[in-house]
Amino acid sequence: MADQGDTRGEHRRRRLADGAACYLAGVVTVIALGLAIVATGAFDVSASAPHIRVVGWALRTTMVNSVKARAEPLPLEAPLDPAQVRAGFRIYDRECAPCHGGPGVPRDRWVSGLIPTPPYLIDASRRWTPGELFWIVRHGVKMTAMPAWCVQRSDAELKSVTAFLVALPALTPEAYARLRAAEAAPPAAEAPPPSSC
Amino acid sequence: MLMREALAALAACAWLAGCAGPAREAGALGGDPGRGAMLIVRYGCAGCHEIPGIGAARGEVGPPLDGMGERVFIAGRVPNTPANLSRWVRRAQDVLPGGAMPNIDMGEQDSRDIAAYLHTLR
Repeated sequence: MADQGDTRGEHRRRRLADGAACYLAGVVTVIALGLAIVATGAFDVSASAPHIRVVGWALRTTMVNSVKARAEPLPLEAPLDPAQVRAGFRIYDRECAPCHGGPGVPRDRWVSGLIPTPPYLIDASRRWTPGELFWIVRHGVKMTAMPAWCVQRSDAELKSVTAFLVALPALTPEAYARLRAAEAAPPAAEAPPPSSC
Repeated sequence: MLMREALAALAACAWLAGCAGPAREAGALGGDPGRGAMLIVRYGCAGCHEIPGIGAARGEVGPPLDGMGERVFIAGRVPNTPANLSRWVRRAQDVLPGGAMPNIDMGEQDSRDIAAYLHTLR
């Protein structure tokens, strides 16, 4: 009986050791492959060619999941405060529209040279919650051209921009043009709050 | 590359079948559907339109562009010829002022290539 127990124990130990060796070999291979890509310049960093499909998918999916994991709920109930939406428009039109366009409003031409391409945001609030939009605007996204706007704008201002994004799907091209004609340029950016980001 | 070959094969089939569809005319305009597919991503068309064959294109602002090769009108307004579609892609505001689709600052060849891709969609 005791002998059998020992054999079984040894068998289990050997299987564990084999498993660990396999796992280690896998980890080493992945690290070696990663280092090879880093060291040989195999990855094409040019923005004149699109990502290969799998890289584009991996980067986009990583971004979406990262935002969803980090964003906190932002209560922005309808009806939105029109003053807040207008304040958001003033910032959006000047600082966001060059890259993201608007209803009837194109992006600047050079923006088409960015990879990934900055999306038009007319239906952004149907893909993202207000909290997620606020998070993206505030923190930016690494390896895209999206900056962390917390450097330049206060949380209150970025909440206005978020409110504008939520209002955007209901804004006709004419309404956007009217806002453009009616609203002055945004006030100069406040000094960034010291602990905002 | 594979996509380009597939599209070329598609265009060849359409030609062999002798259909006077827009795809054949697109060829006459010198549009390259393979390049068009790349440009569709670059110019951000995907932000507003769902476009078959363009992975990221799931926008819900404008209409989905499936079947553009067979549609009769563009935006319910102008006949869907290669020349008109190419102009629409570049100068939508001039064709339909006040619409949500902006004039997009791109070269004529770019819009021809995009139109050529859209006209392969059945």
